[in-house]
Amino acid sequence: MAISRNNLLAAALIAPLFAVVVASFIVPLAVTLWTAIGNPEVRETLPRTTAALRGWNGSDLPAEAAFAAVAAELAQAQESQSIGPLARRLNFEEPGLRALLLKTARAKDRLSAPYRTSLVELDARWGDASLWRLIARNAAPLTTLYLLRSLDLTLTPDGKIATAPADESIFLALFARTFVISFWVTVLCVLLGYPVAYTLSTLSTRWANVGMALVLIPFWTSILVRTTAWFILLQREGPVNALLLGLGIVDAPVTMIFTRFAVYIAMVHVLLPFVVLPLYSVMKGINPAYLRAAASLGAPPWKRFVRVYLPLTMPGVAAGGLMVFMLAVGFYITPVLVGGPEDQMVSYFIAFFTNQTINWGMAAALACLLLAMTAILVVVARLIVPGFRLGSVSP
Amino acid sequence: MQSKFASTLLALAAAAAVAVSGAATARDLMIVGFGGGFQDNARKHLFQAYEKASGVKVKDDVYNGEMAKIYSMVKAGDVTWDVVMVEAPELVRGCEDGIFDKMDWSVVKKDKFIPGGTSTCGAGAVLWGLSLFYDQTKIKNGPTTYAELWDTAKFPGKRSFRSTPKGTLEIALLADGVPAADVYKVLATPAGQQRAFAKLDKIKPQIVWWKSGTQPVQLVGSGEVAYAVGFTGRTVRANAENGDKYPLLWKTLLYSVDYWAVVKGSPNAKEGFKMIDWITDAKPLLALAEDWAVSPANKEAAANPKIAVKNPGMLSSHVADGLFIDTEFWVQNGEDLEAKFNAWVAK
Repeated sequence: MAISRNNLLAAALIAPLFAVVVASFIVPLAVTLWTAIGNPEVRETLPRTTAALRGWNGSDLPAEAAFAAVAAELAQAQESQSIGPLARRLNFEEPGLRALLLKTARAKDRLSAPYRTSLVELDARWGDASLWRLIARNAAPLTTLYLLRSLDLTLTPDGKIATAPADESIFLALFARTFVISFWVTVLCVLLGYPVAYTLSTLSTRWANVGMALVLIPFWTSILVRTTAWFILLQREGPVNALLLGLGIVDAPVTMIFTRFAVYIAMVHVLLPFVVLPLYSVMKGINPAYLRAAASLGAPPWKRFVRVYLPLTMPGVAAGGLMVFMLAVGFYITPVLVGGPEDQMVSYFIAFFTNQTINWGMAAALACLLLAMTAILVVVARLIVPGFRLGSVSP
Repeated sequence: MQSKFASTLLALAAAAAVAVSGAATARDLMIVGFGGGFQDNARKHLFQAYEKASGVKVKDDVYNGEMAKIYSMVKAGDVTWDVVMVEAPELVRGCEDGIFDKMDWSVVKKDKFIPGGTSTCGAGAVLWGLSLFYDQTKIKNGPTTYAELWDTAKFPGKRSFRSTPKGTLEIALLADGVPAADVYKVLATPAGQQRAFAKLDKIKPQIVWWKSGTQPVQLVGSGEVAYAVGFTGRTVRANAENGDKYPLLWKTLLYSVDYWAVVKGSPNAKEGFKMIDWITDAKPLLALAEDWAVSPANKEAAANPKIAVKNPGMLSSHVADGLFIDTEFWVQNGEDLEAKFNAWVAK
């Protein structure tokens, strides 16, 4: 009795946390994954056509019933303003189909039985079995098309996997770029943050507080403000160029804005506190007696650092580096504001597909792949980077 | 487009939001446009004037033309925008997608619009255009055609274009010597599209892309770029504020129509149609034209000689020089070309 009451109490205490996790993490993730593989357009807009195509052999033209159904359903979809999603979905798979579907819908008064002849007369593509195979294939509730396109692959009308046309293959390069930028931002943050954290950890409390404030005040400032500040500093007629010109270092303004350099500088600046803070707390906890012991045994300073201090701080390096990397992978606003078109990362394309072309399948597929790739990289990092295994000091 | 499962979840989330915020009934009529000088002046002469005339409370907001927000509102069944200003291809696609209501022509008088000023789901608001400009206090004799704009030896410096294929690809073909009348015929073929991208490739390192309409004047003003293709309305306004620094090159004009549309599922749809009818009438538009170089899609207002003289920036006086951005072409090819354009830009 007492145990079950305790259990109930525990459950009640955990319930809010559980609800938050479900509402803010599991549900959005499930919706995103579902959007990336969902394929509702053909099923919902052309139910009778897909029913008529069931049992069709796939090589000859389908029966008259399918032609009649498609003509009626397209006209009806246009009337009820629901043809758009279908047109967009099929046009995404094969450019030009939007025009065909709308043309067919608008021609409803000119079409008549037998629809097989009438439709082919309207547009010869209706007489092509591969178009019908495309429709029949997309009656399936799930599709791999968005995920494949996100990996520079595509489906042929017959459902085979092929490489995407060169003028649309950008996503593998885009993922590589995202991870390369994130990797170097992480390395730079660790290299710059390490001495800062070390210095802070050796200062007296009073000065350490001052130093901490200098780290925390930018940390609390909005990313947008800090990025815009870099935009102003780095622009062609901005203060940095004015200084360089004034000192006679350069003769003409240097292009700094809209470059990879600007992206690195702004991202490192934004993310630096995320590595300084965990490193500082780890460094504060290191017993100075270890270093004194190493010194008394005759280890020179570099050896004391490499063999004792560095391994002891690795958990902080790993925690800070991981946090910076994960945040960098999802960066959007900083590359958009200070980077050029060649410096945009995956998030930019997620926003593009969400806002611009309303292709939420592609946006969701890119998001899922980014999440999966990041998860794999983190698992690999756990295996090869020391310090992830908590407190382990390599011999 | 979205699955039932996902839309149910969205609907649940929206329902929860409504329950928390205490029900969205009886709110003010919300009209949303692209901002800028037009909206600042429209607020007074169209929105507030309508509020005074009808007694219906009107609020306005600004967006950059991102359709995603409207799509999510309609899908979630929580429509907080009633009347929106949209560009032509987005209007037609949104109409097919069922995110805009079909225009109620029994309320909005259809015969007052210029040719091309009406669409199934939209009533013409204003003409808008893009044209080349530069700062003539810094550059004495700049390029006057798009072909000259490609001459980077004669005209050094960065160039800024809108980061959309719509407009940019037409400009590339014009620069490559395609006559204005043939631009869309050429652009409809894969070879023509390749030709446009190849032409853009020649100056790609010199291009800075802009997204929001305020950027071209900022970029040219700050010296970040030497030349920009920007909205004519913004350039006209910058000239009014900075003393005619930017000569308007009407021969480089590309133009189209923006429409008013009612968002599907708006609880104020009826009021929305009434308002659209009122703000597309000649009288308020002429009052607006006193303060702002508007190019109305209303026949009577556009033909009024007084505003044509007052507003040298009025597009209707220059359309003979310009290229009309083909709505139907962009409805049919927009998604495909946007994907190609974005892939090309990022390479």
